[in-house]
Amino acid sequence: MSLLGLEVEQSDSGDVRGWMPVTSLTASPDGMPRLAAVAMLVDALGGMRSITASDPDWAFTADMSIHLLPAGPTDLLQADLHVRRRGRRTLVIEAELLADGERPAGSALLTFAVVPRPEHLVNIVIEMTPGRRLMSRNSAHEQLVSNYLDELEIHANEPGRVTVELRPVVSNTVGALHGAIHASLIDEASVSLARSHFGSDAITTDIHLAYLELGRLGPITATATAIGGPADGRLTAWVDVRDGNGALVSTATTQVVAS
Amino acid sequence: MSGFGNPTEIGVAQYLLMMIEELGDGTAALPHTRGYFPGTPNTLDSDGRLGTDLLTCIIDSIGGMTSGLASLPEWIVTTNLMVRRAPDALVGTRGTGPLTLDTNVLRRGRSSVVTRVEVTDAADAVVATSWMSCSILTPANGPPPFTRPVRPFERAVPNEPIFSSAPHDFFNLTARDRPGIVELSVEQRLRNPWGILHGGSSAVVLDAAARSLVLGRPLIGATPEAIVTDLAVHYLSPGRVGPIVATASSVGRRGPDHLVRVEVRDQGADDRLMALAMTTVRSLD
Repeated sequence: MSLLGLEVEQSDSGDVRGWMPVTSLTASPDGMPRLAAVAMLVDALGGMRSITASDPDWAFTADMSIHLLPAGPTDLLQADLHVRRRGRRTLVIEAELLADGERPAGSALLTFAVVPRPEHLVNIVIEMTPGRRLMSRNSAHEQLVSNYLDELEIHANEPGRVTVELRPVVSNTVGALHGAIHASLIDEASVSLARSHFGSDAITTDIHLAYLELGRLGPITATATAIGGPADGRLTAWVDVRDGNGALVSTATTQVVAS
Repeated sequence: MSGFGNPTEIGVAQYLLMMIEELGDGTAALPHTRGYFPGTPNTLDSDGRLGTDLLTCIIDSIGGMTSGLASLPEWIVTTNLMVRRAPDALVGTRGTGPLTLDTNVLRRGRSSVVTRVEVTDAADAVVATSWMSCSILTPANGPPPFTRPVRPFERAVPNEPIFSSAPHDFFNLTARDRPGIVELSVEQRLRNPWGILHGGSSAVVLDAAARSLVLGRPLIGATPEAIVTDLAVHYLSPGRVGPIVATASSVGRRGPDHLVRVEVRDQGADDRLMALAMTTVRSLD
């Protein structure tokens, strides 16, 4: 998260607005941020919004859908998050994405499982300082120096199959694969598969991702399989993410378009 | 929540006539089922293809049942459902006619189940895939009375013309005056065994609203010039009273693909938000 320079602002009502600067290191060939980076923005902001929405309970991300629109070259991606349902056991949050504060750039929907607040989180202090601020203080001195996915050390083994070692930079606070890194793996596996079909570069335009288990044992591998065949410059795929023991930790479907 | 009715008498299932069987001996912790959708002519479009509305209905039916089997002695309600059609099966002969739905439970947790459904046509080509999440609940009068392993059973179809009518008639759809708004009047046949609106009914009304918006005209029937290729629907509260109104709004487009947001509300229940969906509608012109 700190590598992407995410910023956030929370209103008195609890709603959250966030921003992500877009550079050549996080952009797709069309100038929009690639889905892997958008997933980090949405996941981070969604997690923040879920804290107040689920209080006094706690919430874990259960699934995430993202659709991206071709908003053109973008300097700053903005996301506005709103709670659509807070039930006893589920929380649904919607995100509206805007390119440079004005052009529709897509949307996201997230479901959270609401659970009793875990013991180790009862006294956790969450920074809720009013005003716009960096989501991670580390962003002040950490930044990307190479392509985002290269920085994460996501490697393509063969078309449709990518791997990442479980290192601190891709892990969450409990040492498992970060939720947004699942999306990064799925994005890259999908693009890798699409390149082999199209013979050209490709962009993942949307994802439906379900989290199944914590990925605690590396290496973590994502494998994309085409759903039917490509047509009209589009490919759809389902992607399974497995841990070092071969256990399924998340699954997704994606659409990829030739660029 | 009231008790579960007879699973052989679910109106939407009697309309769609999908046969379902459980593979294996019925003891697997993560059940595996297969559904056989016959593709009766009244349910298909002029090309012989099932619309995404009814495709979602049959996915919801088999996915819900299989998720429920994984949850016994408790049962489930669908919380969200994602459907994606193969890009090479939107026009032409691929994906037409009867369909087979191979269904696997991926995870059965303490409070939720995640299940995948893969749809193939008669040539064994994959034409769509889906995953759905369900919440596990304790039904008031116990779960449905299934014998394991579940074997295909004949459904007694009421001898009423509505059960052989076109989808928009069976689901009681009405187009409002302006594009993007479609209404569903709740009838007993559209309720699920719990007495609430069948999840597939929500999919039918929101699919029509999305296509209507993109085509710019009020409509309720099949549209050879537009198809929903991708659907993410979140079920937020049950539909009980009606009329059920789906209202679509445009988010943007990528070439022929229109990203459409749809809200489904139960007007008779204080206009409560029942479902929220994001769909992609492909213009096929």
